[in-house]
Amino acid sequence: MTTTTTAPPSIAARAVDAYKIYGKGDTEVRALNGVTVDFPARAYTAIMGPSGSGKSTLMQCVAGLDSLTSGQVFIGDADLSSLSEKQLTLLRRDKIGFVFQSYNLVPTLTAGENITLPMDLAGRKPDQAWLDQIISTIGLGDRLHHRPSELSGGQQQRVAVARALASRPEIIFGDEPTGNLDSRSGVEILTFLREAVSELGQTVVMVTHDPNAAGYADQALFLADGQIVDRMEQPTADRVLDRMKQFGR
Amino acid sequence: MLNVTIKGLLAHKFRLAATALAVLLGVAFMAGTLVLTATIGATFDGLYADINAGTDVQVRSAQAVEGPVGDVRGPVDESVLPTVQGVDGVRVAEGGVGGYAQFVGKDGKAVGNPSQGAPTLGFSWGDDEALSPLRLASGSPPSGPDEVVADKATADKEGFALGDQVTVLTQSGSKQFTLSGITRFGNVDSPLGATLAIFELSTAQELFGFPDKFSQIAVAADEGISQQELADRITEVLPEGLEAVTGEDLTEEQQSQTREFLGFFNTFLTAFAVIALFVGVFLIYNTFSIIVAQRTKEMALLRALGASRRQVLTSVMVEAFVTGVVASVVGVVIGFGVAIVLRSALAGLGFDIPAEGLTIEPNAVVIPFLIGVVITVLSALFPARKASRIPPVAAMRDIAVDDSGQSVARIVAGAIITLLGLALTALGLFGSSDNGLAAVGGGLAVTFLGVAVLGPIIAPPVAAVVGTPMGWIRGISGHLARENAMRNPKRTSATAAALMIGVGVVACIIVLAATITTSVRGTVDKGFVGDFVVQSNAGFQGGLSPEVASALDQQPDLAIVAEFRSAPAQVNGSGTLVPAVDPTAFSQLADLEVIQGSLSDLEPAGTVAVSEDKLDDENWALGDTVEVIFPDTGPQQLKIVATYDKPELLGPGGSPYLIGLSTYDANSQVQLDSSVFVKLASGVSLEQGRAAIESVTDAYPNADVQTKQEFADAIVGQITQLVVLVYALLGLAIIIALIGIVNTLALSIFERTRELGLLRAVGMSRSQLRTSVRYEAVIIALLGTFLGLVLGLVFGVALVVALGDNGSADLTIPVSQLVVVVILAIIAGALSAILPARRASRLNILHAIQTE
Repeated sequence: MTTTTTAPPSIAARAVDAYKIYGKGDTEVRALNGVTVDFPARAYTAIMGPSGSGKSTLMQCVAGLDSLTSGQVFIGDADLSSLSEKQLTLLRRDKIGFVFQSYNLVPTLTAGENITLPMDLAGRKPDQAWLDQIISTIGLGDRLHHRPSELSGGQQQRVAVARALASRPEIIFGDEPTGNLDSRSGVEILTFLREAVSELGQTVVMVTHDPNAAGYADQALFLADGQIVDRMEQPTADRVLDRMKQFGR
Repeated sequence: MLNVTIKGLLAHKFRLAATALAVLLGVAFMAGTLVLTATIGATFDGLYADINAGTDVQVRSAQAVEGPVGDVRGPVDESVLPTVQGVDGVRVAEGGVGGYAQFVGKDGKAVGNPSQGAPTLGFSWGDDEALSPLRLASGSPPSGPDEVVADKATADKEGFALGDQVTVLTQSGSKQFTLSGITRFGNVDSPLGATLAIFELSTAQELFGFPDKFSQIAVAADEGISQQELADRITEVLPEGLEAVTGEDLTEEQQSQTREFLGFFNTFLTAFAVIALFVGVFLIYNTFSIIVAQRTKEMALLRALGASRRQVLTSVMVEAFVTGVVASVVGVVIGFGVAIVLRSALAGLGFDIPAEGLTIEPNAVVIPFLIGVVITVLSALFPARKASRIPPVAAMRDIAVDDSGQSVARIVAGAIITLLGLALTALGLFGSSDNGLAAVGGGLAVTFLGVAVLGPIIAPPVAAVVGTPMGWIRGISGHLARENAMRNPKRTSATAAALMIGVGVVACIIVLAATITTSVRGTVDKGFVGDFVVQSNAGFQGGLSPEVASALDQQPDLAIVAEFRSAPAQVNGSGTLVPAVDPTAFSQLADLEVIQGSLSDLEPAGTVAVSEDKLDDENWALGDTVEVIFPDTGPQQLKIVATYDKPELLGPGGSPYLIGLSTYDANSQVQLDSSVFVKLASGVSLEQGRAAIESVTDAYPNADVQTKQEFADAIVGQITQLVVLVYALLGLAIIIALIGIVNTLALSIFERTRELGLLRAVGMSRSQLRTSVRYEAVIIALLGTFLGLVLGLVFGVALVVALGDNGSADLTIPVSQLVVVVILAIIAGALSAILPARRASRLNILHAIQTE
C-alpha cells in the first residue's frame, strides 16, 4: 500500500486540543483535558502516566477506537472526526497496527492466519517477502500452523507484533504489550518493537506504566489528569522512574 | 444460596427467554389442542343432549355396523309403530327417517361440501315438539310431496325466502320444492354448520329410499314412568332384530362415539405438540449448558467460598424449575388463545361451532403444565450436574476450550441408542404388534436422540465440509464462520439436532407422499381405462343419485357408464366400506387383474370378490362363503366368485372386497353412487364427451366431472392437502429449532465479546462480522438439515418398504423437493442469524476489548 511513499511526512499522528469528557456536572470526569501532541514518524513513543491519567484514553482516541468529545485527531492527513464508522474501520485495517495487553489473537485461527488477518479482511495478498522477513525476525517459523492455545504467552505476543507489522501500517499502537509477560518475554517484545522502528522504519506508540519499557523508546510523554505534563527525549529506565516518582503518590 | 439463584435468574432472564419460549410454544400448542377437543366434545355432547332431550326411548334396529363416523343401523319397519304406540306408558311415538339431501343455491352451486365440511342432511318433520329439536322460525311445516323446510343458517346464507322454489338433491334425483318454512335447531340456526332439508314423513321416506320404513322410532313417556321401565315394556313387544334404548343411553352412546372420533383428531394434533416439545428439549439442554459454561468462574467462586456441590446443582435446577413453571403457566394461558385460533380456523372451514365459550377441563391445564415443567427440569439435569462438578480452582483459571464430547464412551452410547431406535422402528414396521405406529414414533424419537448423542462426533467433519466453500466465497468471514461452527462441537450439534428432528420428519413425509403420488398416478394410468369420472364429493354420507348414471347411459356419445358405490358393512368383525360396482361395465374400465374366477360372476346377488392377498391371509378358496354383515339386512353369506390382484384400484387405501350392484341393492336402502366412471364411444372427442356428460350433470351441481388426469390430480391434491397441513403443524417444531439457532448464536456471541472486539479493532467491518455470523448460522442449519435428510430418507424408505407389500413399491425420492428443503434451510439459517449478527456488529469495540 505505501509502496510509492517517497518522502513520508515527519508526523505520523497528532492530537489537537483533544478533550474526552465522561458524565456531566458533579460527576464529570475529564479523561483528556486539552491534549495537543505530535507522534513523529519512524519514531518510538512511550506514553507514561499513573492509573487514571488518561494515557489509555489518548491512545484509544488516536487509534480510532474511541472518539473525542472535542478536538481533532489525525492519522497522516486523515482527520478521524470526519470519518464514518466504516472509514474508521478501513483506516484501522489498512493504516494502523495493534498490540494489546492480552487476548490479541483469534483463537480459531492459526498463528499464520492471525498474522495475515488484516490483509485477509481487506482481501489483499500479503507482501510475501516482507512477511517472511517479519516471521524470521520474530522467530516463529515452525509455529505458524499452531493455534493460539498451543502457544506460550510470549509467543502469542510475538504473533501479535508480527500481525501489527505485517500490513506495513503507518503507525502501530501498543497498549501495555508486555503487561502480562514474564520479564524475558517482555524484553523480546520490546526489542522487536525497537527493531521495527530502527531497522524497518515503522512508527510505534506504546502505552505503558513500566519505566523499563519506556527505556526502549525515542521519546516518552508523561500524562497526568488528562494533560501532557512532561516530555523526555531518549528516555532511560532510571530517568523515567525518577520522573514517575514525582507524580506524588 | 436461593438468593444467588434468584439473582442469577434475573441476571440471565434474556438468556433464558429462548428456553422459556420453546417450552411455552410446545405447552401452548398442547393445551390449545386439549381445550379445543374438549370444547368440540362438549359441543357435541350438548348437541346430542338437545336432539334426544325429549326422547325417553328410541326403537331401532339391533343390527349395528361400525361406520366411518359412529354406528350404521338398518331401518325399522313401519308396522312396528302401532305396536309401540299401544304400549302402556307411551305418551307419543313417532317414526322418522333421515338421509342425504343437499340444497342447490340460487347461483346453481351445491350448498355445502360434505367431503370437507359439515354434513348435508335430510330429515322427516316430526309433529311432537318433545321428540324433535326443530323449531320453526317462520312459515309452516312441510306438507305434501312438494314442500321443504330449510334450516335458518342455510336460508340466511343462500337468501332463501318462504315460497321460493328451491332445488334439493337426494338419491331420488334433483327436484324442485317450495320452501314452506324456515327452522332453527334447538337454540342455534344450524347444528355445527350442517345444512338441513326437512320433508313431510312420507315424502322423506320416498326420497331417501325408505318406503314403509323408518330410520328409528322416537318415544316420549307418560308422566311418572322412567325411561328404563318404558324401554323394558317396549322391548317385550318388539319383534326380533329391534331394540329399545333409553334416551339417556342413546345420548351417552352417541357422545362416546364422537369422543372416540375426536380422540384421533386429538392424538394427531398432540403428536405435533410432542414433536415441538422434543425439539424444545435440545434447546433447553443447550441453553443451560452454555449458561453453565459461561458461569464456570462464578460457580467455582461459589464453591471456593464454601457452597456444596448439592447447592450448586440445586441452584441450576431451581433456575430451570422457575423457568419451566413461568413458561408453562404462560403457555397454558396462551394455549386457550391457541384453541380460539384453531376454532376460528375450523369456523373458516365451515364448522360453525356454537359459541359456548371454551371448555377447559382440568387435564387441559394440568397435563401441559406438568409436561412443560418436567421437560425443562429434566433437560437441565445434565448441565446442572456438570455445574456441580466444577472444581473451586476453576475460579482462578481461564475458561478452557471445551473439547469434550469426543470420547469413546460417547461413540458407544450414541451408537447403542441409535441402533436401539432403529430396532424399535423396525419392530413397529415389520413386527405384528398392535402398537406398530407407536413403536415407529418411539423408534424415530430414540434414533434422533442417538444421533444427537453422536452429534459432537459427526458435527466437526460435516461442518468442515459444509463450511469450506464459504471460505472460498466469503474469504476470511466465511473461514471464521466455519471455524466458529466447529469450535464447540457439543453446542453446534445440539443446536443442529433440534433442526434435524423437524427436517427429518419433513424428509420422511416427502418420500412417503411422493411415493404415494407416483403409486396413485401409476394406478390410474395403468388401471383405469375410462375417459371421465363423475365425482360426488361425498364425504361419509351423500353421493350421486343413480338417476345421474341412468341418464348418462342414455347418451349416445358415452359407451360405458359404470357406477361405483360404497356399502358400510362388517366383515371379520371390523367395520369397512365395501365397494359395489356393475361388474360388466366396471371391468371394461378398470383392470383389477383377476386371478381366479371371473368378475362377471358378481352379477347375481350373494356373491363377493376378494383380493388375492386377502384370500391367502384368510386361507379362503374360490367357492367359500364369507359372512358380511349389512346394517339393513344383517349377516349375509356371500360366495367368493373371483379374486383380483389390484385392490388399490378400489379407492384410497384399496379394498380387499368387492360386490356387485345386485348384492348391494339386496342389502341396502341407500341408493347413492360415490362416483360414476365413463368411457366415450369411439370417435367422440373429449370436448364432445364432456358436453354430453355435463348435459346430464347440469341438474346435479354436486357432481364434478373429471378427466382421467383431473381424477388423478384430485386424489394427489387430497394427499398434498394433508401433507401441507402436516408441514404447517411441523412448522412449530422448526420454529423452535430456529429459535435454538438464534439463542445459541446470541449466547456464543456474548461469550466471544473480546474476540469480536479484537476483530473489529484490527479492521473487520460490521458487514464482514455480520456475514461471518450469518454463515455460521447457515453451517449449523445445513448440519441439522443434512442429519435430518439422512435420517428422514432412511425412515421414509423403510416406511415405503414396510407399507409397500401390496404391490405399491413405487419408491420415489423427489430430489428437487429435497433440494428445496436445503435451500430453505440456508435461508432459515441466514434469517435466524439476523438478530445475533446485528448484536455482534453493534458491539462497542472498547467495551469488547476491555471485558474481563
